[in-house]
Amino acid sequence: METTQTTEGGGGGATGIAAQMEVEAFRRLFPLPFYKRHLLESVRPDARALDSARDTTISLGPVASADGSALVKIGETTMLAAIKLEVMTPSKERPDEGSIVVEFYMPPICSPMVRPGRPAEVAPVISKQLLDVIRSSGMVNLKELCLISGKASWIAYLDIYCLNADGSLFDAALLSAVAAFTHLQIPLVSVTEEGRVFTVSSEQEEKTKFELVNKEKRKLSLSSIPFPLTCVIHEDYILVDPTAEEETVMETSITLVLDTLGNLVSIYKPGGVGLASTEIMKECITRTKRRIQELKTILEESVSVMEVD
Amino acid sequence: MEYVNPLTGLRIDGRRPTEMRHLKAQIGVVSKADGSALFEMGNTRVIAAVYGPREVQNRGQQMNNNEALVRCEYSMANFSTGDRARKPKGDRRSTEISLVIRQTMEACILTKLMPRSQIDIFVQVLQADGGTRSACINAATLALADAGIPMRDIVTSCSAGYLCTMPLLDLNYAEDSAGGPDVTVGILAKMDKVTLLQMDAKLPLDTFETVMQLAIEGCKAIAQYIREIMLQNTKQLECRRGS
Repeated sequence: METTQTTEGGGGGATGIAAQMEVEAFRRLFPLPFYKRHLLESVRPDARALDSARDTTISLGPVASADGSALVKIGETTMLAAIKLEVMTPSKERPDEGSIVVEFYMPPICSPMVRPGRPAEVAPVISKQLLDVIRSSGMVNLKELCLISGKASWIAYLDIYCLNADGSLFDAALLSAVAAFTHLQIPLVSVTEEGRVFTVSSEQEEKTKFELVNKEKRKLSLSSIPFPLTCVIHEDYILVDPTAEEETVMETSITLVLDTLGNLVSIYKPGGVGLASTEIMKECITRTKRRIQELKTILEESVSVMEVD
Repeated sequence: MEYVNPLTGLRIDGRRPTEMRHLKAQIGVVSKADGSALFEMGNTRVIAAVYGPREVQNRGQQMNNNEALVRCEYSMANFSTGDRARKPKGDRRSTEISLVIRQTMEACILTKLMPRSQIDIFVQVLQADGGTRSACINAATLALADAGIPMRDIVTSCSAGYLCTMPLLDLNYAEDSAGGPDVTVGILAKMDKVTLLQMDAKLPLDTFETVMQLAIEGCKAIAQYIREIMLQNTKQLECRRGS
């Protein structure tokens, strides 16, 4: 990082400080004035425009032992999602539906803020948000997770691990969940005489004596996939896809989730110093719509890359 | 079950008895950490992240004012093993492995150079296929090197076993759960000293010596590989600095 010299006004909130300081020290000591000076030029410290998100990559199938998995990187934020299917008896009220269990973990490797004695505060919050969004968006038709009506159905355990926490955690987590469901393949299954259901791997397919319950491995058909976007607001500025530093400095974030049909699935603005007028909300919705197109293309590309293999 | 095919002499995954699995390592995978590394031994994949030296967080734990405090936590991802039913951390096995890794790394970190500070080593297992302990130690070594923490020597670890009257190097999960002995060795590579030695199941003494020698040779091969990776990494950093 080169040392440049800041001129007058560098003291910002603290008057009487010497005018010449190293940029790094200024950034640490007076984060808000540092950002303000960038916002006046409509740019951010990492040279992004206010409404552009970081580079996003999706890679399907990194975990070979899981039935569906995905690794998503938005800038430096990295999420690894994996789905494991197990057989269970469905409830009596919903005999032909399976179920989904979502768990989000922030292990200590992901951030210096997370320590073994003190788990991250946001982890259970994001966990719940994810579950709500996945359920309410109706992306997965639970009836597709049924095996034998009334007797056996699939329960999908979705585990998401944050490997690097650098802002927009919910965005990356939801994207990885969506990508993992896109990659998910339901394994072949057969039933023993006692009624025990077990999975059959493809090598055993020819040798199995028992009748297969489902004839072929299939993927879920997902409808109306939800895509998220987190923005932070500061006075009248809206910064899209914040890094961890921006999230702590600006303090007010809004997360919007829209689906591919253009319906609003979830709005999440958990308080905060900044207040959002309706214009700002509409702006955020427009930005989210644009982001959805980007994410859709990226997801489709990664699916086709995987199918080529 | 024949773990070593009597006709071809190959193991169930096609390796020869003294052949190690494919190694792959990458430094600097977690940008937020002071040092991090991803280490793969065959299908076992592990990420280690090092935070430190930093301020001691729990004053009560700080026993010795002249040395740095080393802390380690080992946890396995839910999907890392074949079946999902497991408590990721806090169960006995994870606590034991955390202790083992901490004590192994403590042997090589020059703690006296960093008094009143704390070094945290976090290891996360993403895929487990036998030899997770060894992969974790190797990954921790790379992560500590990436963090620039002064060390006496690099620590590498490898496991070996004895099945069907043959000593086998680097057991995978199937061979490990076969019920034969499993010897895990950790050495300080250049100094040629053993810092970690664990064995379970019964083994006659002379066979034990053969198996342990095999494991030590495996460790030396891994040390060779780790040195290459660190050299590549340094060259890259040099390039980026523009010198």
